[in-house]
Amino acid sequence: MPPNAMTTEIALLMEWLPHQRWFGAKGREIHEVNRVAERVLVEGDPQLRHVLVAVDLGEDTETYQLLIGRRRELPQRLEHAVIGVSGDELLYDAAHDAELTHVLLQMVAEEEDEHGLRCRHLPGTELETDLTSIVMGAEQSNTSIVFGETYILKLFRKVAHGLNPDLEITRALAEAGSAAVVPPLGWLETELETPEGRTTTTLGMLQPFLRGASEGWALAVTSVRDLYAEADLHADEVGGDFAGESERLGAVTAEVHSLLAQTLPSRRADQAENAATAKQMHERLDAALAVVPELTPFADALRSAYDEVAALPAGVPIQRIHGDFHLGQALRVDEGWKIIDFEGEPARPLSERTALMSPLRDVAGMLRSFDYAAQHLLAEQPSSHGLAYRANEWAERNREAFCDGYARASGRDPRDDAVLLRAMELDKAVYEVVYEARNRPTWLPIPLGSIERLVR
Amino acid sequence: MTAAPLPDVPVVDGIEEPRDPLWYKRAVFYEVLIRGFADSNGDGTGDIRGLTQKLDYLHWLGIDCIWLLPIYESPLRDGGYDIADFLKVLPEFGDLGDFVELIEAAHKRGMRIIADLVMNHTSDAHPWFQASREDPTGPFGDFYVWSDTKLKYEDARIIFVDTESSNWTWDPVRQQYYWHRFFSHQPDLNYENPAVQEAMLEVLRFWLDLGIDGFRLDAIPYLFEEEGTNCENLPRTHEFLKRVRKEVDALYPDKVLLAEANQWPEDVVEYFGSGDECHMAFHFPVMPRIFMAVRREQRYPISEILAKTPPIPDNCQWGIFLRNHDELTLEMVTDEERDYMYSEYARDPRMKANIGIRRRLATLLENDHNQMELFTALLLSLPGSPVLYYGDEIGMGDNIYLGDRDGVRTPMQWTPDRNAGFSTCDPQRLYLPVIMDPVYGYQVINVEAQMRSSTSLLQWTRRMIDTRKRHPTFGMGSYEELGSSNPSVLAFVREFGDDVVLCVNNLSRFAQPVELDLRRFEGRTPLELLGGVHFPRVGELPYLLTLPGHGFYWFQLATVEE
Repeated sequence: MPPNAMTTEIALLMEWLPHQRWFGAKGREIHEVNRVAERVLVEGDPQLRHVLVAVDLGEDTETYQLLIGRRRELPQRLEHAVIGVSGDELLYDAAHDAELTHVLLQMVAEEEDEHGLRCRHLPGTELETDLTSIVMGAEQSNTSIVFGETYILKLFRKVAHGLNPDLEITRALAEAGSAAVVPPLGWLETELETPEGRTTTTLGMLQPFLRGASEGWALAVTSVRDLYAEADLHADEVGGDFAGESERLGAVTAEVHSLLAQTLPSRRADQAENAATAKQMHERLDAALAVVPELTPFADALRSAYDEVAALPAGVPIQRIHGDFHLGQALRVDEGWKIIDFEGEPARPLSERTALMSPLRDVAGMLRSFDYAAQHLLAEQPSSHGLAYRANEWAERNREAFCDGYARASGRDPRDDAVLLRAMELDKAVYEVVYEARNRPTWLPIPLGSIERLVR
Repeated sequence: MTAAPLPDVPVVDGIEEPRDPLWYKRAVFYEVLIRGFADSNGDGTGDIRGLTQKLDYLHWLGIDCIWLLPIYESPLRDGGYDIADFLKVLPEFGDLGDFVELIEAAHKRGMRIIADLVMNHTSDAHPWFQASREDPTGPFGDFYVWSDTKLKYEDARIIFVDTESSNWTWDPVRQQYYWHRFFSHQPDLNYENPAVQEAMLEVLRFWLDLGIDGFRLDAIPYLFEEEGTNCENLPRTHEFLKRVRKEVDALYPDKVLLAEANQWPEDVVEYFGSGDECHMAFHFPVMPRIFMAVRREQRYPISEILAKTPPIPDNCQWGIFLRNHDELTLEMVTDEERDYMYSEYARDPRMKANIGIRRRLATLLENDHNQMELFTALLLSLPGSPVLYYGDEIGMGDNIYLGDRDGVRTPMQWTPDRNAGFSTCDPQRLYLPVIMDPVYGYQVINVEAQMRSSTSLLQWTRRMIDTRKRHPTFGMGSYEELGSSNPSVLAFVREFGDDVVLCVNNLSRFAQPVELDLRRFEGRTPLELLGGVHFPRVGELPYLLTLPGHGFYWFQLATVEE
């Protein structure tokens, strides 16, 4: 490639990257973009390159994974994916180009190594490779390419150095025989230089595509909508009652936790760790209070809830958990619930995402999600006091059902660990308060209302 | 009686040639209660001649096969399922001559007739039982299951728990106990006895010789008993059914045996054998699941049960229905779902019976036409042959104040005239009163009025049946559910060779958008089947459709002409 074409491409990327949904540093100034690695996967026209770029943001650097296509003439179907014009050729995001993406599938099927881009599959996996692909939806840190109706390849756009926890956990759970996850079929990885040395880093994961699946969130909202349409029926009387689903979801969550504790590291926390957990909660609250003054009336109650955690005796079980558990991370398939995206909170560093924590954090996350499902339609339209009351009833009914299912399957009722569970719910709600204040001020009353109820 | 079909009588009928041995896979069935359909002689009870007079109506509606509830001589202590003479017609219904006329008139119109037959037991009034109890050593002495002790077959459950305390009843005449899986006045036949097997085959031949097109075999899981088992679905029962099938196939072409086994599909499939037992069996759980899915506004209750339904041999078919003469059976849903169905659909305790709900389609759906249409569209498009229950095509109501299951067995509503045009008798002489309430009463809901209105449920149902029959895929095709991110939308493709139909159903009462992944059909132009409207061509992007509350679409996906 001539040097001027290279500079053009970098310039185009600096312009293009901030507009991508998966770009994590929106609004920040990009000092420099450097290619860290580059491989030509398909020669000719169209050409396909796999590129890793380091985006220098001044204080820190983020690494992104790109599939860059190059054509002289661009078909109309790819116009939405254009990066820019380079010489007499067009650069575009080749994740959208079904003519090229099947190469990735082939590479996984044949376990190819392309100058350090390693493709692997699980032993005994036979893959169909003549499938056309389509990019599904827009996710915050990934791009998912669906092949035929058979596979989904999740490309991690923002590359976190190291083994991807979703791959690690779903593989462990699938090998332990869990039916609650979508077992991985294969993956893409490479070696990356980090200050600590070279690390094997996951770039993508291939899984079976669940065609008939719905997000738990969509199902829950269906139920809530049904409730709102009734004049005066209660949550347990309406046709769209969701409690049965919630209960089954609770049971599946408990199964996953128990398998995770058996197959990956787990232990009991000592007293100092409880104190550290409480300290983190206090710190998050400090930061939140600085941004959202509406939290101030609840500060004392929140602090005393956190102090109770610090005072807990040693012995709290900790283990690997989901880390970012909510109704959007549960898929309803014909046979029941599947849990997906074991990546932890994407914004956090990998070390935090893989740290051992109480599984109650996941339970708290889901309980919060029920609250959101019940309340968010109210935030979007004017509503009455009666509706708010019944929405809360819906949330309560499904939160209880979830805990019932969890208790039934695990033999331990999460509500028995009230101090920790409540603190974790509050901690999560405080996080939500900050998020809503920044992004969706009309939704702020949802987490605030929840905090008010929880501390009452 | 002869063992062969009457060879001298030339078969002159309207059944299309060449005769399709798989006709039951494409057929639309219609369940008729002779007592409640049409009364030809003004005695207040429907009869066979009355039905014959109404064949033109059923032909107009598009019905292919009429399923009759028991027509045999009976003391009627169990709705005719207590048969006192297998070879006679219940006198109130007419005689054998009437029946042969019915068959011929139906065949002339290209329609077929099947009837209920109970093989497991007889009425205690049957001469076989009378002979058996009085002469233990006589030719019928061993026709029933007799025992000196009640301590046999103790693992068999009692089915009618409301009325029976044991499967054994003491007979003071023979001084022995006799075995009965149902009511104590319905002794079970002893299939261990080869003479019983022969006698029953003789019964089948008798009716087949008269021209009947098949039987719904009632209560077949219980034919044999064996110590240490629950006495249901035993291997010897299947062996006998295979023998029945063989005899029927050998002598009579294109007949159908429909198994009534109210069990989970994975157990019911055994009655298909390897295509060498029954031709058809009812798929019981799909019906409560449709109700559940619409109430929940999400597709999983249906998706789940269809995913759990095992494949069946190519020459076999499920029978599916929304409602029938029995209650809405809730044995096939979980306890939690059952409580829920009770509370949703049967707020009044009188509406419940045993483990079910006694209501008609219209009343279950509170007369919501959109829902009735959605349910009917599902019935006509899900895998299986649809069975309509008489009166549901006009949205007839029920009468919960009548005892037992009579509430859904009231006279068919033909006209707004006296007795709904069902009978010319004194209204007080009717076997059951006609429905008279202000919403479902015969002055409002009747065939005559709905035939005059092109927007009526009846005319709509007829158009739907007609559309179904123009597409063999509905009966013969594969079934594949299409996923979508909207759980309220059930979308599936039926595919039979070139005949590809996409069905999209909105189970929610609210308008819904759905994006379907139709890449497999890229380049095809969906043609909406009811209006013949062309929809935008399928591209590589998800196909967006919007549906009104409880709306549905049937699209033909014809192959692209290059």
